[in-house]
Amino acid sequence: MIRVLGRPTVEVIIMNDWLGLHDFIFYRTRELCGWAFEGTFLESSSNDVAFFIHTLLTCLITFGGILISMFMILWIERKVYARVNDRRGATTALRSLWVGENGVTAGEWWNMIPYGLGKPVGAINGWLNRVAGNDGHEQEMVNRVGNRSWYGVAIFPGFFQNLADGMKFLIKEHMVPNRADKVIFELAPFLVISSTVMILGMIPLSSGIYGANPELSVLFAFAIFGIAPLGVFFAGWSSNNKYTLLGGIRSAAQLTAYEIPLLLSILGVCIMAGSFNFLEIVHFQHSSGAWLLFLMPLGAVLYLVSMIAEVERIPFDMPEAEAELVEGWWTEYGGMRFGLLFAAEYMRVYAASILFAHFFLGGWHSPFAGIVPGGPLIPGIIWTLLKAWLIFTVVFVWARTALPRIRTDQILEFGWRMLLPLSVLQVALAIIYRMYLFDASALDTSTSGGWSWDAGLFPWAVPVLTTAFWLAVFWVFMNDEDDTEDTERMYHVQTLTPAGTHTAGTE
Amino acid sequence: MAEMWITMGPQHPMTHGLWTLRVKVDGETVTDTEAELGYIHRGVEKICESRDFTQITPYCDRLCYVSAMTWAHSYIMAAEDLLEAEVPERAEYIRLMAAELQRLASHLMWLGAFGPDIGNLTLMTWCLRDREMFLDLLQELGGSRMHYNFPRVGGVKRDIPIGWADRLRAKIKLFEHRIDEYEMLLDESTIWLVRLQGVGYATAEDQLNEGVSGPNIRAAGINTDARWTNPYSVYDQVDWEPAVEKPTSVKGADCYDRYRVRMEEMRQSCRMILDAIEKIPGGSNTHYSPGDEMILTKAPTRAPEGATGTSTYECTRGVSQFYLQGGGDGRGKNPYRVSIRSPMFITIPYVAKTMIGYKVADIPAIMGSFDPCIGETDR
Repeated sequence: MIRVLGRPTVEVIIMNDWLGLHDFIFYRTRELCGWAFEGTFLESSSNDVAFFIHTLLTCLITFGGILISMFMILWIERKVYARVNDRRGATTALRSLWVGENGVTAGEWWNMIPYGLGKPVGAINGWLNRVAGNDGHEQEMVNRVGNRSWYGVAIFPGFFQNLADGMKFLIKEHMVPNRADKVIFELAPFLVISSTVMILGMIPLSSGIYGANPELSVLFAFAIFGIAPLGVFFAGWSSNNKYTLLGGIRSAAQLTAYEIPLLLSILGVCIMAGSFNFLEIVHFQHSSGAWLLFLMPLGAVLYLVSMIAEVERIPFDMPEAEAELVEGWWTEYGGMRFGLLFAAEYMRVYAASILFAHFFLGGWHSPFAGIVPGGPLIPGIIWTLLKAWLIFTVVFVWARTALPRIRTDQILEFGWRMLLPLSVLQVALAIIYRMYLFDASALDTSTSGGWSWDAGLFPWAVPVLTTAFWLAVFWVFMNDEDDTEDTERMYHVQTLTPAGTHTAGTE
Repeated sequence: MAEMWITMGPQHPMTHGLWTLRVKVDGETVTDTEAELGYIHRGVEKICESRDFTQITPYCDRLCYVSAMTWAHSYIMAAEDLLEAEVPERAEYIRLMAAELQRLASHLMWLGAFGPDIGNLTLMTWCLRDREMFLDLLQELGGSRMHYNFPRVGGVKRDIPIGWADRLRAKIKLFEHRIDEYEMLLDESTIWLVRLQGVGYATAEDQLNEGVSGPNIRAAGINTDARWTNPYSVYDQVDWEPAVEKPTSVKGADCYDRYRVRMEEMRQSCRMILDAIEKIPGGSNTHYSPGDEMILTKAPTRAPEGATGTSTYECTRGVSQFYLQGGGDGRGKNPYRVSIRSPMFITIPYVAKTMIGYKVADIPAIMGSFDPCIGETDR
């Protein structure tokens, strides 16, 4: 719904984020343009000019917010990854936040803040050093393993590392392979990058900060999401390299297989919320009283699994499997094109995390917004980003650190035989929930939220029971140990020549 | 789809060194392979003919840069056979511990490289972290991180330092817990099992015919551990059992069996080291100065023409053999001929053939599970 055309009603204002930059800019630009063009020949079209300026500003703010905060997820990934890997090097450890970069109190960035404003940080640092270590043997280990001098700005150790990397990419030479299809080769990265940036324009950061808000924004965002695989395939084919060819074909197969469960799980969300609009889906979760994570945990898991495959991260990073395909479909790209492809990948990851926050974690609403009164005081954009960072850390980074990579045929089999039936089941469940367990009359758009999911039993009956059920299912599957494991291999593969039947050297 | 040849190497993440694997693929399926070796052939055997018996040791260190101590030990055993030198028992114990520490470090390097082959980088950083402990211990013995030049004809260069035994015990105890940690990360992960089980079958019979040895054939159920079947040094005096995996399929050992056998071998090495440090003659916390008769006996430096010396040694990747013939230049100071049998030189072409029929993504898994080392292969 394009609500901006009329003044929002009182209820919507309460449910909305109070930091309503979108509406603020809209009305200020209108007033300013009306005042500036009064009496001139532009007077009749002052609203159009205002709309143009307003759209430009809001898009810039949204893009800027997402792109700048993207440093955060890059930083999180580096820190968490290093932490799990037990490395305590320069830009690698969470401890470097308080112990400085070399494991001692090098840096002491808090002393560089003017007027002694950083002194509390220094005090906390001293306390952390006392309770959390930095004693003798620890320091020895840090110096031994992580003896790297620190670089970057001293405000957030390692935070601007990616700016330095980007500068490095900028000054690298751009090379095109001799036998490549040059037009397609140049076109492909821009297809990937521009479509990725377009997704960001569709994603609201809160009810007050968004670039554009078409009625079917979910459909639009995921339609754009489907453009990038085409670019990937172009890149793989046009490089005229056997590794990129294999990577491109793998990517095409994988993205096709996982696009369907992804869209079906989102279809479940849209059925539940009764809308294809991001703002309305998030508002529905607030006004009906429960986040969709608790109503459709299966859908959330399906979304995450297929999203990891869509953004090609471990364990589903077959298209760029560096062990056998060097770098997969982007092997031949160098310089800033490689840098931008890399950035585009992280943009897609970030978009996936923010979308998860919107679809399943109530977007910009604080947890227990109806019960705990202080939550809404924090601007909604903070909640959105916090949730996205949490999802990124817990799901994307953790999976990357803990899991190996699946083989191509196993990925496809998993996608078609497991995820697809389950996502169809999830759509059916969503229809049943919406038709029989949903109480539309109990929707409440005020601050406290409604009680739509009690099913006549007790408040929150449906989400509580649903979550308990799926946790039980999960527990059963986790503890289902197969005793035949010792006598027979659990996993066999079908091969062209049955393995072990040939004699080496005779073929 | 038309078949095509892909050249993997000499610089490719899968190769673990400098060699080329040419793969013929039909889509994602491997239909033919061809291994090309010899990129870092240095002519070690020829170089050794103009060096005396002590000077050869550093060259043997460099045969395999991951497992220097075992290769030097292997050479020294052949030299002692040739020169008929006696080795003090304390020196034998020190050599045993050094070789087993090297085996731990080498297997950790294998596991650390195997992880990224399958797609898990965490494993690599964990393994390199733990390998560092053992490299520190070896550095205290030999004075350097990788190429120690530690064994001498008739003993060892230096005794264990004071306090080394305590550090050794503490690190081995810690590492035994770390092995459990690895198994929690790997064996509990379905993806790890899916990638390794049922992939890269190699039957015991095939491997015997081809001459594959070491952990790779022990994974297929045949105990060819030279330390057990043909005990040299003091391996018959310490408490251990060879790690042999009984394959669950008639098709032979798969990648998972080879992974298991090396994990088990690391446990056995820990057990051996802990036992040896207790049994070492002269006490674990005493230090004899270099050249003391407890650690080094006087050995002749010349071998007459016609005399030969051989050794059969269980290296970390299989059985290594040295053949030395005396009476070379310098009136017998140098060997007339040195011949080295490298286990990986025999294994790699065999492995290339076992890949046929599997997917492209299985190539690093199969290759990594056989633990290639190109330094010793090309010599």
